[in-house]
Amino acid sequence: MLQTVLEPQTAEKAALFRETYLAAYRFMLLARLLDDKFAALWRSGRIHGGVFLGRGQEALSAATGISLKKGDVFAPLIRDAAGRLAFGETVLDAARTYLGSARGPMGGRDGNVHRGKPKEGYLPMISHLGAMISVVNGILLARRFKNHAGTVGAASIGDGATSTGAFHEALNQAAVEKLPLVLVVANNHYAYSTPISRQFACRDLADKAAGYGVEVDSMDGTDLNACLETVGQAVDRARAGRGPQMVVATLLRLCGHGEHDDAGYIDPELKKSPVGRDCQKVAEDYLIRQKWADPATLATWRTEAVHKIEEAIAQVQREPGPDPFTEEWRAISTQRLNEGHE
Amino acid sequence: MSITYLEAIREAQAQALRDDPRVFIYGQDVGPFGGAHKATKNLAKEFPGRVLDSPISEDAIVGLAVGAAIEGMRPIVEMQFADFSTVGFNQIVNQAATLFWRTNVPCPVTVRLPFGGTSGSGPFHSQCMETVYAHYPGLIVMTPATVEDAYSMLLEAVAIDDPVIFCEHKFLYYHLKAEKLPSEALPVGKARIVREGRDMTIVTYSAMLHEALEAANELTPEGWEVEVVDLRSVKPIDTDTVMASVARTGRLLCVGEAWPWGGVTAEIIARVSSEGYGLLDAPPQRLNAKDTPVPYHPNLWAAHRPTARAITAAARKLLRL
Amino acid sequence: MPQIPIIMPQLGESIAEASITGFLAKPGETVEAGQDLIEVETNKANMTVTAPCGGRLEDFTAQLNESYAVGATLGRIEATTEEAARLGLDAPAPAKSGDTDRLGKGNGNGNRSRVQPTVRGLPVPANVAGASYLSPRLKARMTELGLSAADLAGVAGSGAAGRVTIEDFEKFIAHLEKQKMSQASTMRVTVADAMRRSWTRPIAHVGMPVCLDPLFAYRKVARPKPGPALCALRALAVALAENSAPAGRLVGNKIVHPTSIDIAFAVEAEEGVLVPVIRNADKRPLKDLIAPYDELVKLARDRKLPPDATGGSIATVTNFGTFGLEWATPIPLPEQTLVLGMGAARHAPSWDSVKGRFVPIMEANLTLSFDHRVIDGGAAGRLLQHVADLMSKPETL
Repeated sequence: MLQTVLEPQTAEKAALFRETYLAAYRFMLLARLLDDKFAALWRSGRIHGGVFLGRGQEALSAATGISLKKGDVFAPLIRDAAGRLAFGETVLDAARTYLGSARGPMGGRDGNVHRGKPKEGYLPMISHLGAMISVVNGILLARRFKNHAGTVGAASIGDGATSTGAFHEALNQAAVEKLPLVLVVANNHYAYSTPISRQFACRDLADKAAGYGVEVDSMDGTDLNACLETVGQAVDRARAGRGPQMVVATLLRLCGHGEHDDAGYIDPELKKSPVGRDCQKVAEDYLIRQKWADPATLATWRTEAVHKIEEAIAQVQREPGPDPFTEEWRAISTQRLNEGHE
Repeated sequence: MSITYLEAIREAQAQALRDDPRVFIYGQDVGPFGGAHKATKNLAKEFPGRVLDSPISEDAIVGLAVGAAIEGMRPIVEMQFADFSTVGFNQIVNQAATLFWRTNVPCPVTVRLPFGGTSGSGPFHSQCMETVYAHYPGLIVMTPATVEDAYSMLLEAVAIDDPVIFCEHKFLYYHLKAEKLPSEALPVGKARIVREGRDMTIVTYSAMLHEALEAANELTPEGWEVEVVDLRSVKPIDTDTVMASVARTGRLLCVGEAWPWGGVTAEIIARVSSEGYGLLDAPPQRLNAKDTPVPYHPNLWAAHRPTARAITAAARKLLRL
Repeated sequence: MPQIPIIMPQLGESIAEASITGFLAKPGETVEAGQDLIEVETNKANMTVTAPCGGRLEDFTAQLNESYAVGATLGRIEATTEEAARLGLDAPAPAKSGDTDRLGKGNGNGNRSRVQPTVRGLPVPANVAGASYLSPRLKARMTELGLSAADLAGVAGSGAAGRVTIEDFEKFIAHLEKQKMSQASTMRVTVADAMRRSWTRPIAHVGMPVCLDPLFAYRKVARPKPGPALCALRALAVALAENSAPAGRLVGNKIVHPTSIDIAFAVEAEEGVLVPVIRNADKRPLKDLIAPYDELVKLARDRKLPPDATGGSIATVTNFGTFGLEWATPIPLPEQTLVLGMGAARHAPSWDSVKGRFVPIMEANLTLSFDHRVIDGGAAGRLLQHVADLMSKPETL
């Protein structure tokens, strides 16, 4: 199943799908160009720390972000630039965090992919894989306490995170509490350099869900069409009260773990196989084939995206970084209980 | 009527659940069973739907509490035994403790740690974790030593907007009784001078307070007047009260049930030595558990942690220095 | 022209250091901004470090096959002021030669201070007993009042093992305040401080009589006439010129030798003692020392000694005989190892083996007080004997 052909029942639905597809594609495009810009800034020494790209995973990521509504919860992972943008993050906030602007959501206290706005349901990941899932559970449980029904929470993880205890604990917890969690698993074949043959021994990652009584579906992660359908349906099921959902996308990371990594360990055969397709190219071909856009339109979109990114980067580069002398060195909110040691 | 330390903890939780609809309790066996130590006895019945049994998943228990706190709730989670909090350590120190610093969103989670040694509990049901958590920025670590503090500080823990590690000593659960619950309390962050003295200061907290008081009494007939300071919270440490006491007595002995390497006693001595060197008449001393896992057999256990006898001996030595 | 440092860049996530595997340019060459200069190897990859700006490659401070931390200076480029300004590289102070931040010498964090432990295991005075132990609190209180340990010598401690407690101290102070007190002069306080410092050393004394008849005989013919103290001073200078080791100072495990034989002598002045110096006392005969000696005595008594007339001496001569004293155990100055003392001359019987009977002679005691860490009784005795022998032939001095 390389490409799922959607068969909308009505013209209205078809139009809606086309609109969603185009929007998702443009988030993919924006995310890839933004990632490339961050990589370029890193190579010229203007970004400290690492840069982590989502190349090859944009379709899944965009599908996740676009399937969520305002008021839902999203805990993205490192390769989710597309999903973050689709969920409502601005290019400016992304740039501010990577470049350490004092005006960014993290104010230079955290950087790169560790960004979010918890009060808006957009969680800033910690580096420990699988650790965000139970936090999403907590928000969903709190909403049940507050009788805020109808919202869902999505968490992104990779094949590596399915080996962590946190994944198992949180998935089981969500199942026990019947929480509207959507766990989006990107099986990109490598956790840093570790191939999936050294990561798990079950036939399919989807098998893991059965152990917890969690509904699961799989998709071709290189196909935006399939991603929109599978993730969208999982979100709908969760929203409808069917309990936690897991979806597994098969794809290949088309870059290193971070920009410091040349990914020389990736099996060349895998790159040539269907799993190694570039999801952006696949989506573009589909757009053209459907006559939803012509090459000139695509070029215009690209130019617009580049312009938007350049504008944001130029603005952020003029913004001040955090100042250690005026920084409030306080890790707790209760001022009177702060020890005040320098 | 009298009330135990354990009942005070139960009462504080009941009070918090009554006062604030945002409060809920989550943890292993805390529901209808009432908790492994009975600290949530009858609460599930009194507050339906708000006292929830969790799977045996310390990581997910704390993670869920963090999420709920972000969403405006005031979760209280019980770790059953402090020792088991190591499984939830990541969520406590990396998720809960960093949230405010990273995002300016407070994280009002209370993690109850039934901790400390009781006879026969052995290596995995006796640990003192306050030192470990106090090391991490972003956490408040409370160590109440009295029934009154157990009650008032737990209420304050729930009310505080930051993650609180609430270390409740299992030995004190039934051994400590008070006539009634307090109507007013010293705020968290202030140490208490429990016993005034002229010749030396013992700084301690939690169960060791009672051992220290016994030691101080033993030294009275010998003519020594020993001052005893109860830290109440080990993060923050009320350095001012400690320093003022040492300024009066010139001698300092720190007593903690936790292991010796680093830790609360070391921190107190570091602060007094560096900021109050000129107050000292003798090198500050400390007394901790031995640097081994907590032993099972009562004979070994009694020798492993500081006792009134050991504190008396250490105090006599310090008074002669 | 500004010198721009070539810095070890952040070569990747978690990379803290890299080792130098090659140099791609030579000092003195003109390089361009961005030009590869140094090949480095991290534990992850081989990379190059590029020139931060164009200019003349001044030097590489880094060495081949050594590891350097991220941020360490690897070399310098001499750039034009315009080039530096264009790149916003405000020239920092040029690195001192040999100031390269090599790993292993520092703590590996950014700016390293090269602290090397020199003391292993200081003795901790936790169990020190008696008056020699002053607690931090007692020391703080004494500092507040401007007192030193010697001031407490008269206080009997009531603390553990006789230690002076803060209570003892406060009682002592309260007691003092009931007694009559007067202000000590500056001179007194200065001498007190010198003696206190001196007394931290183990001071020992040796003494012997010296016959003054040859000196008195010499004085009858000599013009001008040298006094006994100056004669002793000159004799000491001659002896030390032959072997200066006894006048050396012990610092740690090193003996610091004198560089010139400058000998001081004590002159009593109001409220204290002054010690003018005769420079190079070994280089001039006795008769040439008389005039400067007399001049220094006069200046000292008038309190008009110029600054260069005191200090820097290696030993002192004190003539306590002028007070009629035959014996004394003077204390060497803190920066000196030796003090030679001379007692009052007196008639004494001396056995004349030729005549087979006692004959009267004039004699005085010579004493030598010394830092026992530097020399022992034997060496001190030999030095004193040599001084006495020289004094018995004043015409040769």
